[in-house]
Amino acid sequence: MKASRGEKTAEYIIIVLLSLLCVSVLYPFLYMLAISLNDGADAAKGGVYLWPRSFTLINYEIVLGNETIRHSYLITVGRTVIGTAGGLLVTLLVAFGLSYRGLPLRSMILSYILLTMLFSGGLVPFYIQLNNLGLINTFWVYILPGLFSVWNMFVMLKFIQGIPEALVESAELDGAGPVRILWQIIVPLSKPMLAALGLFTAVGHWNDWFAGAFFVTKQNLIPVQTFLQQLLSAQDLSAVLGSNNNQEALARSSQLKNITLMSIKMSVVMVSALPILCVYPFLQKYFVKGVLLGSVKG
Amino acid sequence: MYNKIYKYRWQYLMILPGVVLLFLFSYIPMAGIQVAFKDFQIGTSIWDSTWAGWDNFSFLEDLQFLTVVQNTLYISVLKFICGFPAPILLALLINEVTRPAFKRFVQSVSYLPHFFSWIVVAYILQSFLTLDGGLVNQFIGQAGGEPVFFLGSTEWFRPIVVFSGLWKETGWNTILYLAAITTIDPQLYESAKVEGAGKLAQIRHITLPGIMPTISIVLILSIPSLITVGMDQIYPLMNSANHSVADVLDTYILRNGLQQGYFGMATAVGLLSSLISLILVVSTNQLSRKLNGEGLW
Repeated sequence: MKASRGEKTAEYIIIVLLSLLCVSVLYPFLYMLAISLNDGADAAKGGVYLWPRSFTLINYEIVLGNETIRHSYLITVGRTVIGTAGGLLVTLLVAFGLSYRGLPLRSMILSYILLTMLFSGGLVPFYIQLNNLGLINTFWVYILPGLFSVWNMFVMLKFIQGIPEALVESAELDGAGPVRILWQIIVPLSKPMLAALGLFTAVGHWNDWFAGAFFVTKQNLIPVQTFLQQLLSAQDLSAVLGSNNNQEALARSSQLKNITLMSIKMSVVMVSALPILCVYPFLQKYFVKGVLLGSVKG
Repeated sequence: MYNKIYKYRWQYLMILPGVVLLFLFSYIPMAGIQVAFKDFQIGTSIWDSTWAGWDNFSFLEDLQFLTVVQNTLYISVLKFICGFPAPILLALLINEVTRPAFKRFVQSVSYLPHFFSWIVVAYILQSFLTLDGGLVNQFIGQAGGEPVFFLGSTEWFRPIVVFSGLWKETGWNTILYLAAITTIDPQLYESAKVEGAGKLAQIRHITLPGIMPTISIVLILSIPSLITVGMDQIYPLMNSANHSVADVLDTYILRNGLQQGYFGMATAVGLLSSLISLILVVSTNQLSRKLNGEGLW
């Protein structure tokens, strides 16, 4: 059956609307990229919309030459790698252990876990506990409190329960213990699920600024996002230029007066956002799967 | 019994880290709620602190607290009214696209903002809206208008929060609806076409009823979050100029508790909001049991 003319027009209108939506998502990134690659004082005059008008890499040289920023990047990468690997391991182990329906006390343990989703002590008692454990102002405050994600565990549990029991049973008959079953049967079969959960955990770590802003006061422990958060309300360039040991770039920029807070800010944002933009296209197939599994009642 | 537990020793060993972590980071803080009724100073033991009765709840008589509650409800209800229908609408639009490549492209692009932090969103807002040289003010200037101090105004704060929330999460929230749409039997559409039903009639009589269960689940799940406004989103946008409309429960707790050291009072506020959300979750579950025949857990 052929589409009527009215339907054709409707589809064109929809395509235009959706294209506008795509532009609204992508344009801010292009704009920030253009500003970050443009001479600061020149950009401040206005009129830079899509392409840099007076191209320069000086903003990036200054940002990447900044010791604080480089160090915060290291912290972010470190917490993302350790937090994701550790988080996946703990979540997988707990989910696998709980997937044995015959486990004595199983329902009690499940209730113990579920209760934490319904009620929490709130921010202040949580902070007091972090303080009592001596985690405040340490790197581990980024890792330990979030190591076990109840939500991810339930998603994983549901996935493991969907694996045919016959596979596990036949391995048990062959004398395989639970540890071997986990590594040789469950893990290979749950790779897509682990990838999806790992992606969400990693993005969560990459984007978290809260812990760095309120659980840490040492400047050498803050992650990139917390640095961005501090810079957001900065009034002058001292936050970035202060601890800069990229003297060469600074010296060369006798145009130092041409550097504006806005252009520096945009380069820092781009530096923090680029890794996500780069891996994004490759990870899509995983996250849609992840959301769908996670949304189904656990 | 002991034999059985021994038989499952490996499983218990695997579960143990999770149990310990929850004990440390969820259950001990729950016990720490007693700070709400105590005269606690950081550095001392919670258990040794003296009881303070209801002293810490004096914030209830504070007019500022009333404003904070109003701000929280105002923003969360506004976000809900705009944020709930938006993904349904977008999913319906995307579903009408017949070109697969374009469809995939739109979906990928619309999910993208979900993967950036609210801090990055705040920077985007700043680059567009700032007073000196923000893109929007550049245009206003060219059109001969007076620049608007969007980020430091009480009128613009709520629209900015709602709009940036839509920008960031609408695409992501369509995933569930699009998945639900794919489960609808294509034959229904075929027979509707034979009957002469137009696109709009098909959407009204087939697509919408087809995704109704998903809509109701999402609706139910979003009820408990009605009293919490994402602090992640608000905090970066907050400044002294828009403080009077931007201050919500979470920022109030943060400021009084972690920044100013009124631990007892901030815990009391947190307790109150935890209790309300618990009530909302439990009654939501009852509601879901009645409507869908099964609860959320």
